[in-house]
Amino acid sequence: MNDFDSGTQALVLVLFTTLVTVTLLMCVMAGPDRDDLANFYTGYLSLTPLKNGLAIAGDYISAATVLSTTGIIALTGYDGYVLAVSTALSLVLLMFLLAEPLRNAGRFTMGDVLARNMPGRAVRIAACLVTLSATLPFLVVQLSGAGSLLTFILDIPHAAGARTASIVIVGTLMIIYAAIGGMRGTALIQMIKIVLLLGTSIVVAALVLKRFDWSPGDILRAAQHGSGAGPAYLQQGLQLGTSTGGRLDFVSLQITVILGVACLPHITMRLYSAQDVPAVRRSMSWAVGTVTTFCLLVIVMGTGAAALVGSRYITAADPHGRTSVLMLPQVLGGAPGSAGATILYSAVAGMVFITLLSSVAGMTLAAASSLAHDLFAHAVRRGQAEPRTEMTVAAWTSVAVGIVAIGLATVVQNWDVGVLTTLAICIGASAVAPALTYSLFWRGFTRTGLLATLYGGAACALLLMVFSRAVSGTPSAVFPHADFDLFPMQSTGLVSIPFGYLAGWLGSRLDHRRRAADSHVQRRLYEESEARLLAAAE
Amino acid sequence: MVRRLKHPFPFTARIRAAVEGQAMTYADENRYPTSAPTGWPESYGHDAPRYDAYGWQAPWDAPYSPYAYETHREDADLAALRSAYRLLRRTSTLTALGSFVVYVVLSCYAPALMGSKVTGELSLGMALGVLQLVVTFAAVFWYGRSARRSVDPLARAVREERAVPAGRHAGTAR
Repeated sequence: MNDFDSGTQALVLVLFTTLVTVTLLMCVMAGPDRDDLANFYTGYLSLTPLKNGLAIAGDYISAATVLSTTGIIALTGYDGYVLAVSTALSLVLLMFLLAEPLRNAGRFTMGDVLARNMPGRAVRIAACLVTLSATLPFLVVQLSGAGSLLTFILDIPHAAGARTASIVIVGTLMIIYAAIGGMRGTALIQMIKIVLLLGTSIVVAALVLKRFDWSPGDILRAAQHGSGAGPAYLQQGLQLGTSTGGRLDFVSLQITVILGVACLPHITMRLYSAQDVPAVRRSMSWAVGTVTTFCLLVIVMGTGAAALVGSRYITAADPHGRTSVLMLPQVLGGAPGSAGATILYSAVAGMVFITLLSSVAGMTLAAASSLAHDLFAHAVRRGQAEPRTEMTVAAWTSVAVGIVAIGLATVVQNWDVGVLTTLAICIGASAVAPALTYSLFWRGFTRTGLLATLYGGAACALLLMVFSRAVSGTPSAVFPHADFDLFPMQSTGLVSIPFGYLAGWLGSRLDHRRRAADSHVQRRLYEESEARLLAAAE
Repeated sequence: MVRRLKHPFPFTARIRAAVEGQAMTYADENRYPTSAPTGWPESYGHDAPRYDAYGWQAPWDAPYSPYAYETHREDADLAALRSAYRLLRRTSTLTALGSFVVYVVLSCYAPALMGSKVTGELSLGMALGVLQLVVTFAAVFWYGRSARRSVDPLARAVREERAVPAGRHAGTAR
């Protein structure tokens, strides 16, 4: 599959080991004190805006983004370009709409934001469940991808044992990062990752452009040719078809991405660790700048993969093109076995590896924090837990979340579970986004409304996803031979996002009617806390 | 975790309010009036019991009302901050989201237009896509500048009125 000699493999292995050692060392050194909650969850607010921005960008650009987006661009051209744009703009929306009030309202987790005016265990439990349902699928899909990716990179023969071993190794590392490093440790890894990612991508993109004498026209011509699609490569429709349904599906997917990706809990969690509002604004400026730059580079790399590798080889390696970013350096670096090819390939492999490690660690930490802080400290112990106990619980929930994720990833490793990414984004857009926008900006929002949004939005997304065409009924589905695709779309956003918002509104209306006193109390709490929400006044 | 302190209510303000006979005021930007009927004659007696002979319930913010002067100024500043934030938020979000939605819809339903060549192989759709990414840098810069100009001074005023050190620098305060 990849025609490299043992020297390259050895270099790649050495690089991986170095990366792991260095990041583990940094993680241990940066780890929090044993009984300081603020330190574990936010890293003492001690990061400068630039560093925090890089960490946000690092959390935001997951391995799924790097690998799938490049693959989608390489295989479908224009549809992939739109996806890159929506990915970048999603973070912009987070910055414009939610970042500053979120920073003022939040403390450690999403539950803190949602429960600030509506204390109660039900809210905490709902927040925790939605956090888990949004992060676990993402985690599982990346871990199960880690198996095939590592075997591809290291050119290990495709045996179930090798893949499972890779999943377990990556999973164990991610548990260690999350449990020992906490927010500060993972922030360091995210920074290293984003610097490596950007650096390598710039070199690869520059090499692609140089190959075509810096002429965009030549690349696009070659890509049209290489993709085998001709002029259709530069028009919308290769990904989901040009029928009315396919186009609607495409619009739905893009809207879901732009509303959902940036709302995912592991990204919003980074905002709470900014010092103050100007700092969160500057952090987000750095994050948006980094992500946008990266999206531009992804466009170049994806198009370059289509032009230089060709869709025939890309789909032969992976039907979704997720390995295209790894095949590109093999073409770019010169003759196989030459120093240039070896170094370039190792760099890209290292970049993918560290991206994978850091993104799964970030998600584990988000899920574990929510379990420890929302479920244990506030729902079980009713806010009476000792900081030291909560820290210990947080470390152990990281282990538990990690083990569950490893188990699930091992089970599904032979299936094509890319759909789980879509599921996580759909839950982000239809449960998390409505809950956060209502909770931050609508004083009439009540507890019933909040629960209806969280549970309703998540359940709607989940149900529709199960019966969607991404799970059954099409050749590229998870179960290509089964037929229960009652919902004729690949993503659920078009229905589930309005449903989430509607559920929140209806639930609140119901409270205004039935429990006027309660809803007045909640409105009062909102208004009392408004100065803190808008101005960070205590 | 005492993060939402009640106003410190300086005693001088109370006297000043009493001396000046400042009219009682409720949160003026309340879009959802609770129970206080607006326009109720209340030019006196802000220290009187809130349950009066007319039998209307005390509004929920009754405890604050004796300190009308302070409350009024704070409310005015908070209202100004709220509307400044709202304007900034709506403009920026709707512009970003709107331009993207228009772009996606045009890509899907006007493929001929988006496929028209700008220069060489570069089609209008691709150019617009890349342009949005490039414009993002400018948009973020613009947002930061507008926020510094319109929102930050108001936020500072609100914070100073509430007489609590700005931000959470201490770390331990969280």
